[in-house]
Amino acid sequence: MTAASTTSPTSKTPAGTAMIEISNVSKAYRTDTIETLALQKMNLTVASGEFLSIMGPSGCGKSTLLNIMGLIDEPTEGTVSLAGHKITSYNGTDIARFRNEQLGFIFQSFHLINDLSVVDNVELPLLYRKVGSRERRRLSLEALEHVGLSNRATHFPNQLSGGQKQRVAIARAIVGRPNIILADEPTGNLDSHMGDEIMDILLKLNSELGTTIVMVTHDERMARKTHRLVRLSDGERVS
Amino acid sequence: MFKNYLLLSLKVLKRKPFYTFISLFGISFTLTILMLITSLFDATLGNNQPLTHRDRLVIAPSLERTRTETDTILAVDTLQLKDGTFRLDSTYTYEDDIVSTSNGPMSYNFADKNLRNFENVEHYAFYSDGNHIDGYLDGRKYSFQAYYTTASYWDVFDFSFQFGGPFYQEDEDQATKVVVITDKSAEAYFGVADASVIGQDMMLGDEVFRVRGIIDRPLTDSPLFAGDVYMPCTTLNNRDLSSTELYGGFSAVFLAPTPGQRSALQEEINFMSQNFEMPPDSYHDALELFNSPFIEGYAQGLLNERDPDKAMRLLFIPIVLLLLLFVALPLLNLINLNIGRVHERKSEIGVRKAFGANARDILYQFIFENLVLTFIGGAIGLLFALGLISYINKNDILGITRLSYSTEVFVYFLLVIIFFGFLSGILPAYRMSRANVAESLR
Ligand SMILES: Nc1ncnc2c1ncn2[C@@H]1O[C@H](COP(=O)(O)OP(=O)(O)O)[C@@H](O)[C@H]1O
Ligand SMILES: [Mg+2]
Repeated sequence: MTAASTTSPTSKTPAGTAMIEISNVSKAYRTDTIETLALQKMNLTVASGEFLSIMGPSGCGKSTLLNIMGLIDEPTEGTVSLAGHKITSYNGTDIARFRNEQLGFIFQSFHLINDLSVVDNVELPLLYRKVGSRERRRLSLEALEHVGLSNRATHFPNQLSGGQKQRVAIARAIVGRPNIILADEPTGNLDSHMGDEIMDILLKLNSELGTTIVMVTHDERMARKTHRLVRLSDGERVS
Repeated sequence: MFKNYLLLSLKVLKRKPFYTFISLFGISFTLTILMLITSLFDATLGNNQPLTHRDRLVIAPSLERTRTETDTILAVDTLQLKDGTFRLDSTYTYEDDIVSTSNGPMSYNFADKNLRNFENVEHYAFYSDGNHIDGYLDGRKYSFQAYYTTASYWDVFDFSFQFGGPFYQEDEDQATKVVVITDKSAEAYFGVADASVIGQDMMLGDEVFRVRGIIDRPLTDSPLFAGDVYMPCTTLNNRDLSSTELYGGFSAVFLAPTPGQRSALQEEINFMSQNFEMPPDSYHDALELFNSPFIEGYAQGLLNERDPDKAMRLLFIPIVLLLLLFVALPLLNLINLNIGRVHERKSEIGVRKAFGANARDILYQFIFENLVLTFIGGAIGLLFALGLISYINKNDILGITRLSYSTEVFVYFLLVIIFFGFLSGILPAYRMSRANVAESLR
């Protein structure tokens, strides 16, 4: 993890090359008594600009896989490469900068910070870059506009509906213009109408900005709108 | 970046009014109480004028005469356990000492004859306290507490003179009718306490005294200098000075050359009183001259306890415990609150790290929140302490004692609170900042 910072947030890897490469990745969770093998010798390549969906029964390792792609969890075995960089260390400031510049996360339970206003939540990734406060505000409002929530900028998360919260989370994920967006059941807590709205935003993001998106979903209908579907079962790829 | 942390802290604190209020209350309340207690402590026992040399002082307030007789005491109807059986012994006797004592301040004569020749002494003074004297002006009567002292009294205690100065050895030798008064007495009697009072006459009792100096009213409430007016001891009437009785109205105070020589001085004093030859016609057979350093003497006087060590324990253990309690309660509360809050914010830490914060960013954020809270709480505490101190002083709530504000003490306690803030808010945050992100977001 030395060359992470050389990739500027806006530069795109040419379409067709690998954006995410997971090779031979296994993940075991050890507790005092049992060891759970959440992923077994997983191999997966996501091309730049691809919109991939992952499906599978609960507990099969979808979140684990996504977390490993997002560098917020460390594989027990195997290697991860993002945007052409092989990840060798999960500590220190390089990995933090790499997450900051390359990755945007969307979670099923939103994970907004309730103490901060909507626009402050969206600003979050920019806080960890050298961006002036006025520029931060401008970019955040732009991202909010992108998800159709500019009029809610000064609200607080608990004043919003679930769909609105997830749109704020999307704004936060895209404000830093990452190459990769990882969405773990982004519509899982939403009704189908709101779910469709979220899906539309993600599709537009993928087609207009060329952002690589990996999305875990339980919804076949959503999955069918993406470029490719990968199915997992018991920590292994079945398709 | 610091500005970001600061703004972020303020935003978070504003959004958590209850947490913020409780924390601020804890911090400011602790600080206020600590400031008041230490200020009171300092006012009473600190190195303030006229007690700058208090750690060299040995005070000998009074004498005690004792008579010890051995007596055979007959006890009747005593139940005893002997050879495994109870038996009643009605003719049981034992020997015991019967001690009769009498005590009080000493005569000038006693002090003059016996207390002038110690070696470990830099200055010493005799003074007679507790004399009420009436002052008269234009037909009005003022009641004063009068102290009659040797001239060296002004060497033992370093009073700060607002105007004029003390009286000297020659005044003592010639029994000059001069008086040193407190600023309060000057205001009461002359209406002002300024340079114009120096050299004016005061009618005290049935004699006229010329004002020699005006002193600051001492911060400390102590019988060593509780006078309103101070006059040379030789201006007392002759009977008081020449009486050959052991007892009189005088006490003695000594200043050892160094704090280390204080106990040697006390040994000298005790040696003198142990070897004191009682007058042949005396009913009593032994003499003790009470003597103690300033703080011990204070504790003994306050608690009416003869043993200086025990008096010190009785005075200081409760004070220390009380202080600890006052510090511990709000601090524990703060720690508890802080730890709870860090855990509550586990997912926030996870989110921040997922979006690019490194461990140091997280740590700085929590440090800032703690510091902001501590400084706001500190400012409120400081205002409260200052307000209370000035209220207490203005309204004479503690009698003559004047509380003073000490920046040093304030900074010291602020550091203590910051330290505990670090311990309680930042250590858990630090641990969490290194935790696995996926774990924090589950
Ligand atoms: N931190 C953990 N400790 C222990 N076991 C875990 C942990 N995280 C996930 N697991 C286990 O790993 C398996 C895969 O979990 P996960 O990736 O969350 O599944 P999914 O997202 O597909 O529902 C499950 O059996 C789960 O119980
Ligand atoms: Mg999951």
